[in-house]
Amino acid sequence: MRCEDVRPLLPEMAEGNLREAGEAEQHLVSCESCSAELGRYRMVVAELAALTEVLSEPLPGFLERVISQIPERNWRTVAHRVASDERVHYAAFSLGGLVVGASAIALLWWRVARRTLAPVEGPTATA
Amino acid sequence: MVTHELLAACRRGDQVAFEEVVRRTYRHVYTQAFRLVGDRQEAEDVAQDAYLRVHRGLSGFRGDAQFETWLYRIVSNAAMSHLRKRKRFGELIVESPEEPPREFPSPVRVEEEAVDRDSLTNALDSLPASLRVVVILKDVYGLSCREIGDQLGVSEGAVKVRLHRARRKLKEMLFGSEVVDEM
Repeated sequence: MRCEDVRPLLPEMAEGNLREAGEAEQHLVSCESCSAELGRYRMVVAELAALTEVLSEPLPGFLERVISQIPERNWRTVAHRVASDERVHYAAFSLGGLVVGASAIALLWWRVARRTLAPVEGPTATA
Repeated sequence: MVTHELLAACRRGDQVAFEEVVRRTYRHVYTQAFRLVGDRQEAEDVAQDAYLRVHRGLSGFRGDAQFETWLYRIVSNAAMSHLRKRKRFGELIVESPEEPPREFPSPVRVEEEAVDRDSLTNALDSLPASLRVVVILKDVYGLSCREIGDQLGVSEGAVKVRLHRARRKLKEMLFGSEVVDEM
């Protein structure tokens, strides 16, 4: 094969695909110019593949907007979200404190009321 | 990196696991969308659409393919749908005219050469849309020529021709073109 036959194959060869590998490879061994050209194509293909990890930064708030668009699917998710929400934690602690305080007050009031309203026991008259 | 355990949790309907998948992949998804549509706001729309598709399709994802490859395919589909809606899809399928080589630099030893990433990105941006989308999907995101053909509505052969031209143009923009001497 000659250079003009091999050059059109180089972009495809750059990723390791080659239909007429044998003949083209023989040419590449002996032709420094075509071999260098293949090296350049390989560099381009390798750098293109490496672009996967070159990332652009989206507009602020993008992640939150994406997550807010996702439809909720089951009660466990809702329960988990509620359980992991700090505002729910504060509300639960407040409510818990309120319940404990109210219970203590109610118990105290009940004991005082019981003592006040209990009938005075005296000796029973006998006929 | 999205693990099998995380995907299994998503398939069981665990929304928190799905949110974790989004957290781990959103920069990749946004970047791919941006490379394909070329506008930040539109890229965000494409990424949101892609995640809705992923959410609907995860139960059908069996895990025999790599998740990332599957995700790239979905983002690509979402981008193509977006461009169709915006009447910009035509620019992807129109044939760009073949241009003659522009310059004839002196041969350089390949060991002394390197591809500068910014130059590559600029070269990629200056390609016609019909070539750029093919080379991005194939060489950056690893889709097959057949898959790209299906998404663009062109034959696998047409995709290969565009890929060939795109690589050659990129190589010429980065290293210059060479005159082929007969041996």
